[in-house]
Amino acid sequence: MEFFPIVYLGYMFVSLFFLLSFLLLYKKNRKHLFDYPKTEKKYGITVIVPAYNEEKTVEDTVKALLNSDYPFLKKIIIVDDGSTDNTLKIAKKLEKYSKVKVYTKKNGGKASALNFGLKKARTDLIAVVDADSYPAKEAFSKMVGFFDDQTVGAVTCFFIPRNRKAFFERLQTIEYHIIAFTRKLLDYVDAIYVTPGPLALYRREALVKIGGFDEKNMTEDIEATWHLAYEGYNRRMCLQTYATTTIPKKLNEWYRQRRRWNIGGLQCISKYKKCFLQRGMLGFFILPFFALQLFLGLLGLSIFFYLTTTRIFNNYLFAKYSVSLGTPLITMEDFLITPSFLNYLGVVLFILGAIFTLIVLGIMKSGVLKKQNIFNILIYLLIYLSVYPFIMISSLYHFFTGKRKWR
Amino acid sequence: MTNQKYVFLQALILTIIIFNIGIFFGYQLESSRIDKINNWYLESDLELLDQKIQSDAFSFIDFDCDLLVKENIRFADNIYEQAQIIEEYEEANRINNEIILQHKRYDLLRTLFWINSIKIKEKCNPNYHNLVYFYKYNDPSIEQKSMQNVISNLLFQLKQEKQDKIMLIPIAADNNLFAINLLLEEYNITELPTILIDEEIKVVSIQELKEMDKYLN
Repeated sequence: MEFFPIVYLGYMFVSLFFLLSFLLLYKKNRKHLFDYPKTEKKYGITVIVPAYNEEKTVEDTVKALLNSDYPFLKKIIIVDDGSTDNTLKIAKKLEKYSKVKVYTKKNGGKASALNFGLKKARTDLIAVVDADSYPAKEAFSKMVGFFDDQTVGAVTCFFIPRNRKAFFERLQTIEYHIIAFTRKLLDYVDAIYVTPGPLALYRREALVKIGGFDEKNMTEDIEATWHLAYEGYNRRMCLQTYATTTIPKKLNEWYRQRRRWNIGGLQCISKYKKCFLQRGMLGFFILPFFALQLFLGLLGLSIFFYLTTTRIFNNYLFAKYSVSLGTPLITMEDFLITPSFLNYLGVVLFILGAIFTLIVLGIMKSGVLKKQNIFNILIYLLIYLSVYPFIMISSLYHFFTGKRKWR
Repeated sequence: MTNQKYVFLQALILTIIIFNIGIFFGYQLESSRIDKINNWYLESDLELLDQKIQSDAFSFIDFDCDLLVKENIRFADNIYEQAQIIEEYEEANRINNEIILQHKRYDLLRTLFWINSIKIKEKCNPNYHNLVYFYKYNDPSIEQKSMQNVISNLLFQLKQEKQDKIMLIPIAADNNLFAINLLLEEYNITELPTILIDEEIKVVSIQELKEMDKYLN
């Protein structure tokens, strides 16, 4: 067999394996996906809201937190990370609420703001909430029960895009649902690899043990999660509650955000590479999963570039010779394609992927399937996901050249 | 919460099973295409044998030359069409290497047909041209591939125009078959792709291809 068919089969095998893993996990747990443990314990919570130029959203974020039905929410610490807009002024006004405390510091990045807030917090649990995210009223009440298990170091929940009307936002909305759902499934195998910034609840003791957030990492949330896994802490996902969050409206904002995620992932791979096939699921799943994603993405992209370049060159020569000989550039035979069995396998795999996507959108309680048409789902599956390897190239460049900007 | 890491093992087993089923069906699909080519080959082989006997018996039996030539052209058209379909199947072929052997068998069949056609031409002096198209089969360069695609279109166009005036015989020249190698040597074919017209004129360059029409009148 030739090289390319072997590579295609390899891709199909890996895709099918992960798809089946998720389908099996879903089948085994479908009745309990939205369950959450209830607790009698009274965990105190301090919320840290790192804010850098968030004048438009910080007030609503704090109001959403103040609206929480959780009775033991002790303090909301807003850490202004040297904003150049009116964030500090707006935040200061919020100090009229007794629970709100505002600090300001020289700009040092999100992780440094979180570490600053962490030093001020004294409660059992620490919540991290981005200044453009809005936890649901019952979010903390539904998340705290997971901490009755002493091995749990962090709990996250479902994030729903706040702005989801425009076409590009709808695509991201599909993605957020898939991510949340698969994260819940990964929960059943102790393989949650990130407790994202919009809302994550940490055991303070665990955060202290890992030394807080890594200020050198572009994605402090991914790093903290890996570090918790490294220290043997479990991470949990509560699908029953949510926080809404603002997602990029423009392609360039989205591109920069994804590049930052990728660079953070690369930094984590680099930092924890010594754990490969060690330290439980960190070394046996999370790290290999990230590395495999990176490898397959780059290999796929290399093949894509090779095939595209040769195709363009081939077509150029074909056109040149055809024109000089007066032969047709396109014939009926060009439209008669004899499919190979790889084409059939690809179609089967695509259908399975589409079914999985429809299952996810169908069972998530935000009713997102009703708001999505089949066109959006097809674009998401065929185009949106294909863009990721391209972002990886730019991320690698920035990773190796050290050009790492948070925004 | 019970840990469910065993799911990965279950998924792996299931993936291997589904994957093997997929490969099996793929193999079956390719085998069915090869069976189809096999049947064509057997029919063509039989027909060629029939023609060969006719041309060999020509020296002592009085045959109708027109009929023989007509049959010869019909057969040539038939195996030319088959060659096009086989090429499509080959492009879609991924796991069953038998198709490469089939291709070689067909190349030999077409070579035999060409030789037989030369004999018929000598005896009947018919009004058609033999166009033997030698092309590169194994790992052609991008340039050769583009050129071969254009030549295929050109020959197809010529065939549409000239109909029974030309007999197209495509032969892969680099399959290391002794009989074909001998003929390549005999006609001094050193470059690929090359079109040999009536065992005399070699057409290789773009310029010669442009002027090919003048050799076919």
